[in-house]
Amino acid sequence: MLLWLALLALIAIGFRRFLVGYPAPPVGVTALAAREYETARAAAEVIYPKGGPIDASGDTAHVAMHSDRFVGAQTRSNRILMALLFIAVEHATLVFPARGPRGWRRFSSLSPDQQLAYLQGWQQSELAPRRLVFMSLRAILTMGYFADAEVLGALGLRPREILSPVLEVDLLWPAVGQHPETIRFTRADVTGPGTSTPLGPSGSVHRDYR
Amino acid sequence: MSGSVRVFAQYDRDFDEVCDVVVVGSGPGGAVVARELAAAGKDVVLLEEGPPFTPDDFELDGSLSMARTMREGGLRTTRGTSMTTMQANALGGGSLVNSAICVRAPEFTLDGWCDEFELTHSTRADLDPHYQAVEDFLGIGPTPDAVQGPRNLLFRDACDALGYSSEPMPRNVVGCRGSGECFTGCRTRAKKSMDISYVPAAVADGARVYTSVQVQRLLTRGSRVWGVAGQVVRPFTGELLHRFRIQARIVVLAAGCMATPVLLQRSDDFANGSGQVGENLQFHPGVAAMGVFAEETHPQFGATQGYQSLEFVRDGYKLETLWAPPGVFAVRLPGLGLELKKNLAMIPNAAIWDAIATCNRSKGRVRARRRGLDPALTWRLDPKDLTVLVEGLWRLAEMFFAARATRVLPGVHGLPEELCSLDDARRIQTREFRETDFTLAGNHVFSTTRMHGDGRFGVVDEDGRCHETDNLYIADTGVLPRSPSVNPMLTLMAIAHRTSQHIAARL
Repeated sequence: MLLWLALLALIAIGFRRFLVGYPAPPVGVTALAAREYETARAAAEVIYPKGGPIDASGDTAHVAMHSDRFVGAQTRSNRILMALLFIAVEHATLVFPARGPRGWRRFSSLSPDQQLAYLQGWQQSELAPRRLVFMSLRAILTMGYFADAEVLGALGLRPREILSPVLEVDLLWPAVGQHPETIRFTRADVTGPGTSTPLGPSGSVHRDYR
Repeated sequence: MSGSVRVFAQYDRDFDEVCDVVVVGSGPGGAVVARELAAAGKDVVLLEEGPPFTPDDFELDGSLSMARTMREGGLRTTRGTSMTTMQANALGGGSLVNSAICVRAPEFTLDGWCDEFELTHSTRADLDPHYQAVEDFLGIGPTPDAVQGPRNLLFRDACDALGYSSEPMPRNVVGCRGSGECFTGCRTRAKKSMDISYVPAAVADGARVYTSVQVQRLLTRGSRVWGVAGQVVRPFTGELLHRFRIQARIVVLAAGCMATPVLLQRSDDFANGSGQVGENLQFHPGVAAMGVFAEETHPQFGATQGYQSLEFVRDGYKLETLWAPPGVFAVRLPGLGLELKKNLAMIPNAAIWDAIATCNRSKGRVRARRRGLDPALTWRLDPKDLTVLVEGLWRLAEMFFAARATRVLPGVHGLPEELCSLDDARRIQTREFRETDFTLAGNHVFSTTRMHGDGRFGVVDEDGRCHETDNLYIADTGVLPRSPSVNPMLTLMAIAHRTSQHIAARL
């Protein structure tokens, strides 16, 4: 009887720790579960806080939202690995507790200082697999951070507008997923090789990044 | 005569085709074979699992671009020594998303191949006519100074200062504007990737091209192959639909160094009496470092990889410049929080250079997984090859300081996050490293169906024909017996050119 009660208590605690209390993700999130989204959001805000030479933070650069798109574009097996990655970061406080009071709480519930120290522990660990897990998390979030126009703008890295020349080959196939009837060019549109003027900082910024 | 291109939206039922030669894979190997055979008047069908991309399909966001153009979303890694490796899934294969480097293999390397692998006509003199034919077709030439940009020219200055040889990178690019976007697809159309060079030429000569079709097995009878079978695959989702079968007198596998062995293994281990299919997996692992300069380098502009030094090729490594989508390389910058942001803020004044190593001692294998065509990769970096990579990293640091960098960020565990002087950088020479200290990437892959004069030790002969069969050929980097010491694309295309001449002569 006692054993059953202990087991039930364990299940309840596990349920509470792993599944309960996460805020609902914003509308439009399709690939990440609420708990995964919260882990990504919290980690992005710690890795990229507001202020400093690039003002945008993880939140304002919508890093977690980008992570959702990135995960959604992956194969099923990669998605499973990414889900395990988020679980590892969120709950490894049980194995590597953060410094300070109640450092064993899940990552997204720690204070910002604890979160920073906890992630630094992963980044600087002597255990290579632990560093690898952190590198994987940071890769997902960093790619999201650099997808933001404001971040790229702060570093002078916004893509430039390029008018792609129309080649003969453009008469052979349409955009991915489209039927050849949608090819919008005719032989008269073929421009041949375009200008070879080098691109530089003075060029106009790509319309999606203005 | 004009051929055709079929895209995903055109498939509405199962289909069968008959031809002289079916080529599986439209990367640099398969595209050359398809075009040369079509030009020779042969009836050619070219199959490609990925879709054709237009400039409108290029994703400027590096991560989403990877997810769309790369197998396993660009996240493929080896076991053993963990290393990322990317293989493209698109019409044109890797040429769509590589930096277009075309370098002939050095004479000493090809002589070594001949000696060690019992090859009789694969010296540099033997391959030179094939190199020349490909170079002429693609307009391969050195990267002009006008599109180098400061970060490439600083590399040249560093080599000059140290007395190391250097040269503008030879590339299959005509009219480059230095957009630095080679890895996400060339919007200027200057890069002569296979999809806008050899593939349309093959179509013009009558080849029938089927995109978004996944070959799943060879159709065999005894020691002969009589075709291939597979299914239509929906772009980006991998959903498998209608079935197809292509009957051919000759089959050429050019699916890539990882997919080709898996395909043979999935086809009841066909052509594998030697046991060499999927063995001898080799990479060019690379290490990169970021140098920071007092002046702005505008690193986004300039040829993606515009300069190289072959000074140390005989020592087992090659030095070159590099640019990648910033979200990709920024992953390795040190620090977290505001400290990380401080490091990111150095990017406008930065240059990234890398060293790729031949690593002939480090081998692995490719195995089919229980399901699907993605491979299980095991590979381990040999400790002696690790010392070569460390040497390469030291040279990079030496060069950065010779070019008056104010600091170097090596991105290696166990080293300081910033090296602020040449003396500081000498720690690279004195420290003992483990393989796990490095964040390695290895996108040049070869030797899993290697060429060997003796069928007991290799899969194909010098003409690319599988030893155990009469009509199955391989034309991807799997046939390279070991590292070509430099970027492998041009050598593969030269070998594919030779293979196509051999096939044309016998049909």
